[in-house]
Amino acid sequence: MAQATTAPVQDTHGHDTHGHHDQGWFKKYFWSTDHKMIAKQYLWTSIFMAVVGGLMAYVFRMQLAFPGIEVPGFGLVSPGEYNALITNHGSIMIFWVAMPMLIAAWGNFLIPLMIGADDMVFPRINRLSFQIFLISAILILASLFVQGGGFGGAWTSYPPLSANPEYNLTGLGASIWLIAVALEFVAFLLGGINFIVTLMNSRAPGMKAYDIPVTVWMIVIASILFMLSVGPLIAGAIMLLFDQTLNTGFYDPARGGDPILWQHLFWFFGHPEVYVVLLPAIGFVIDIIATFARKKLFGYKIMVYTAVATAVLSFFVWAHHQFIAGIDPRMANVFTVTTLLISVPIAELLFVIIATLYGGSIKFTTPMLWALSFVATFLIGGVTGIFLGASGSDIYLHDTYFVLAHFHYTFFPIAIIGGFAAFTYWFPKMFGTMLDETLGKIHFWGTVIPFQFIFIPLFALGLGGQHRRIYNFQNFPELASMQPLRVTATLALIVMILFQLVFFWNLFRSLRSKEKAPMNPWKANTLEWTTPSPPPHGNWPPDQMPKVYRGPYEYSVPDRDTDYWPQNEPS
Amino acid sequence: MQKPIATTRSASGIPTGRLAIWWLLASEIVIFGGLLACYLLFRLGHPEWADAAAVTNTAIGATNTFVLLTSSFTAVLAHQAAERGDGKKAARFLVFTIIGACLFLGIKSYEWWYEISHGYTITSNGFWSFYYTAAGLHAAHVIAGAIAMGFVAKDAAQGKELQRVELVGIYWHFVDVVWIFLFPLLYIAK
Amino acid sequence: MTEHIDQTAPHDAGEHHDDGHHDVNYAKIYVALLVLLVISILGPELGITWVTLITAFGIALVKATMVINNFMHLKWEKNFIKWALVVSLLFVALFFFGVAPDVMKHDGLRWVNDAAIASVERGIEPPHGEEGEHAAEDGEGEDHAEEGDDTTVEGEGEGATETVAAAFSAPDAYSATCATCHGPNGGGDGPGAAALDPQPASFATTEFWDEVTRESMVNVIQNGGAAEGLSAAMPAWGALYSDDEIQQIVDYVETFQP
Repeated sequence: MAQATTAPVQDTHGHDTHGHHDQGWFKKYFWSTDHKMIAKQYLWTSIFMAVVGGLMAYVFRMQLAFPGIEVPGFGLVSPGEYNALITNHGSIMIFWVAMPMLIAAWGNFLIPLMIGADDMVFPRINRLSFQIFLISAILILASLFVQGGGFGGAWTSYPPLSANPEYNLTGLGASIWLIAVALEFVAFLLGGINFIVTLMNSRAPGMKAYDIPVTVWMIVIASILFMLSVGPLIAGAIMLLFDQTLNTGFYDPARGGDPILWQHLFWFFGHPEVYVVLLPAIGFVIDIIATFARKKLFGYKIMVYTAVATAVLSFFVWAHHQFIAGIDPRMANVFTVTTLLISVPIAELLFVIIATLYGGSIKFTTPMLWALSFVATFLIGGVTGIFLGASGSDIYLHDTYFVLAHFHYTFFPIAIIGGFAAFTYWFPKMFGTMLDETLGKIHFWGTVIPFQFIFIPLFALGLGGQHRRIYNFQNFPELASMQPLRVTATLALIVMILFQLVFFWNLFRSLRSKEKAPMNPWKANTLEWTTPSPPPHGNWPPDQMPKVYRGPYEYSVPDRDTDYWPQNEPS
Repeated sequence: MQKPIATTRSASGIPTGRLAIWWLLASEIVIFGGLLACYLLFRLGHPEWADAAAVTNTAIGATNTFVLLTSSFTAVLAHQAAERGDGKKAARFLVFTIIGACLFLGIKSYEWWYEISHGYTITSNGFWSFYYTAAGLHAAHVIAGAIAMGFVAKDAAQGKELQRVELVGIYWHFVDVVWIFLFPLLYIAK
Repeated sequence: MTEHIDQTAPHDAGEHHDDGHHDVNYAKIYVALLVLLVISILGPELGITWVTLITAFGIALVKATMVINNFMHLKWEKNFIKWALVVSLLFVALFFFGVAPDVMKHDGLRWVNDAAIASVERGIEPPHGEEGEHAAEDGEGEDHAEEGDDTTVEGEGEGATETVAAAFSAPDAYSATCATCHGPNGGGDGPGAAALDPQPASFATTEFWDEVTRESMVNVIQNGGAAEGLSAAMPAWGALYSDDEIQQIVDYVETFQP
């Protein structure tokens, strides 16, 4: 990991002992409070978890395409193992890949840099957040190996299945899974407070609210959204844990409890959660597009207001996940309306992005390719959501592969495409070298094209009536004939996984490269590009902290010799 | 370690520490609010729970309310002392608050021991499940608060980080406010 | 988010609130809180519902407001904080009112929650002994009914303190756990068998008993079919049944032997 040595100026950011510059390996890498190091810790952890989650997908998709045959590298997949694989694939991808990568890693790295601060306001709580997160990651992986096996009740963990070890047969795994998720929530609550307070208080002098880059806005709005929606679920998780371990009856109808209460608790958080991950991803895309279209954002304030509107509206749509669970039909009517409404602000964001591109001087760098493909792919995902948001059509489509394809057409852009966009864009700043463009483009096409071949067949399967969470469709004669679609999806997944090796090769080469990256390779305006790549401890010398004179999107301003105008340049 | 420059800035006008505590409380409101909302949903839908609730000891509950209110009083007096720069006095009042916390926990332990030994356990029925869960979550926050106050008091006695007296006090008052609502919900509503 | 950029001194000793906060008489507030506490206890003693509501809950609101405003100094805090807290409360209210139609109510448009209604009717056993000032005499007075679940599966007791954990019954365990696939009479012909390939073992054939040993049967039940090289569709039940219970189940299965 190329972490430059400290700035040449006197060290006012004394380390815990004697103000020494050189820290042992432990203090520098494991016990660091520097936001950039913590960001990298989150980044590597989430990349590792992404590999784990992806390999889980490989195993269960092999089982689906070639049922009953030993999966190379895994062996025979029993029904219980299949359930554990799909449950943990979902949980890991959302809680241990999307959230840490998009919010914790890039939020930690970018927020202080983009607002001209030297660190987060609470560096030690920042370190604690990562440590709690790491423990949660270890727990979720450990849960797969305990007696009984990993929890197999789906990432939504509905009781009575999840509450009763007699039903789910993975009692220990289920409780560890639940504790891991709860710890992850705590880590992100702590981290969120850090982000919000840092943005509110620690901006560079001269940086008004409308000079803040969209990425930072989005990450902070997402943190607030997370904080305000996760509370009831934490309460509900405590109740579920007690049901599992103490034999209480919070969700047991025989004892006056109600399983549908869990559903409401879960989705009251679960729906805002998808916007918690969407907003940062779309923030990256917006900033990348502004940079590589060399153009001012079509509507900066609109974007911020729309993001806030989306966040608020996201609280009012949750029961669309429960249309056929037995909720009152009148509730279903209300939630149909609100769900269809929420597509409006999100579409608005995409329109503003497209309008920004129009007339721009577009450079098709690797980050730009990722950003553009986000727009296209997420559009498909969002549009297919309409069929699910309308309760009438949802009656047929609920719990089919149509839902699965819809949320992969949204989550994949968010976590993977958005993740790679951010990674390829800010890699030079974080690691001090450049990624190879050719390898990057090969990796890009090798990811997004196979992706279509995985999930378009799944739309077809869903419309054909194929239900989710079933480990062998050969047992259903009326669905067996669609096997070629399943095989196509699996083979496409294997191709996509193989292309990720190109990424890792690119990464490995670049990390070992001796060629230093320039301070501002993309000629962008925001403050992170005004400090060396990678930034020293403290980001800027203490007496040279940046001052801000304008907004972040002053590209192609007429009558200037350069097509960009950094925020910190006095004129 | 030295505070980052970031921590000393205040574009919002609110000092960083205090801003953070308020955001923490916002998230705690949703957590406790969620739990109590669930309790209300059940309690209002299950009038028969009144029979179970009849057993809770209002006198003990009231005593604990008195203890917590008093501890909030000492906490705010600690803040007043800290504002005037008197770290030793602030520390002393914080210690009183911690004593109040321990008293609260002691009384609650006795109360629970009594109820459990008479057969009212967390699995007795829905009311008792919520009773122990809600009060238990609250008690966990009392413990955490007492520990935090211990650290702050230690620093304050040496005249260090006096602004934290106010911060830990705000957290403590919140814990008190939660109990102010738990008391009628669990003890009085019969 | 307020705009003015204020670089406060490095050590933000909260020695003043921006607009000079008054020296609050904390003692007066404290005494008022105690008085309110007393009223909130005495009020419900009257037993009139609306009085209880006002005194117990209304006063709780007042007390909370007083603590929040005066002890936590929210009165003098920036408006943004007040808004953030109000928004949190509003979302809690949203949760409550959004979920109440499903969970608080027990019937609605073309649906009925039988289990909840039954639970209400069952009632709760009146408290034993002298605890409780309002020992409810007017509960339904029914004995605390056993929950309708069959108690063949031995877990930790069913929850009510009065129940005795049901004695383990191998035939009941077989019905609950095994019969779905292996059939009510061990013929490998249960309703779940249709979807399985290979078919579940039939205990009613001599071929089966020629091939197995007691140890292998116990192993399969405990650790799943894969433990003996058989189909992984046979789950591992070791987490659910103790060794002794599995022995009893095997004894029972032996009765299917032709």
